[in-house]
Amino acid sequence: MKQRYFSTFQLILLALFSALIIVAKIALRTPLQLSGHSGLFWMAIIIVGARVVPKLGASSIIGVTSGLLASFMGLGDFGALNTFISYAIVGVVSDLMLWILRGDTENMVVAISVGVFGHLGKFLTKWLFGIITGAPIGFVALGLLKAFISYVIFGALGGILGWLTLKALKRAGFFAYMAEKR
Amino acid sequence: MDQKKRLLIAGAILLVILGVVLGVDYLQRQNAATQAPANMPPGSIPIYVDGNFVGSFIPDDLNQLPAVSFVDAEEGKTQDGWLLRDVLLLYLGEDNLQDRSQVTVSSSSREKSKTFSWAEVEDHQNMVMFDLSGRGTLKLVSVVPGFDIRDSWIQDVDKIEITSP
Repeated sequence: MKQRYFSTFQLILLALFSALIIVAKIALRTPLQLSGHSGLFWMAIIIVGARVVPKLGASSIIGVTSGLLASFMGLGDFGALNTFISYAIVGVVSDLMLWILRGDTENMVVAISVGVFGHLGKFLTKWLFGIITGAPIGFVALGLLKAFISYVIFGALGGILGWLTLKALKRAGFFAYMAEKR
Repeated sequence: MDQKKRLLIAGAILLVILGVVLGVDYLQRQNAATQAPANMPPGSIPIYVDGNFVGSFIPDDLNQLPAVSFVDAEEGKTQDGWLLRDVLLLYLGEDNLQDRSQVTVSSSSREKSKTFSWAEVEDHQNMVMFDLSGRGTLKLVSVVPGFDIRDSWIQDVDKIEITSP
């Protein structure tokens, strides 16, 4: 029998990570009034998910599934399509970065890079949607630069948080346990 | 290719993306500046009274306005910015506004608009205010029943109109 790329167990894990993104988005509130601050936990979840299911496409599945969930739950200010693409692109770009860097998110630099680019994918989606829909140019002249920097910083912090979580999981013997189960 | 080279390329791509974003924004601003009147800087919000252009809400005036905030009941997020009341008083003065004056804030890109009476806008409790969105455009928010959820708020505001009875 032909072996499936993702096992049912792995797909369940990825679905749980997707749900975790939605829960975190709704439940976790930070007092920071900076755009993109949700990248702190968002990218951390993606990075942990990509290591728990270490296969190309894992992050994309998390992104697409969380995008579907978020769209149906009416999250976001710019409509369902924008919400879906914003969430999905985070996973897809993270996968792309993992593939380009041929890296493992247990490496901090790789985790930060994945966090930064994955999160920037969301920023670029929102920005492009703004251009396509003919949104007015920013009221504040350097607002876009500030938002860009904010997305980069929170993506990087998310990467570090994900990397630290992976370290803690490894120390706790999580990956050894998972390997035994396989 | 070693990891160091890949990371350097990633850094270069990051700078290219930043360059493209800022370049496109600059071109949009230049384009807007050539099309708009001299007294309407790019990104500013034009204010019309009974169809006549009276001024443009510009970022330089933000420091003259007191900052306000509230936590929205729907998502528990803090909306902070500047009251529409203060913006209008700054540009029009109290004499041009009566309780029955209608204040319409609209977004052409979203094809959305909201009309309030001046009395509603003036009431501080209603928190009819502009919040600065992530990409730097203005969003009209409030706690007025019926206009207190995200779906009803006006994102990407690009016009304020006042009509007198």
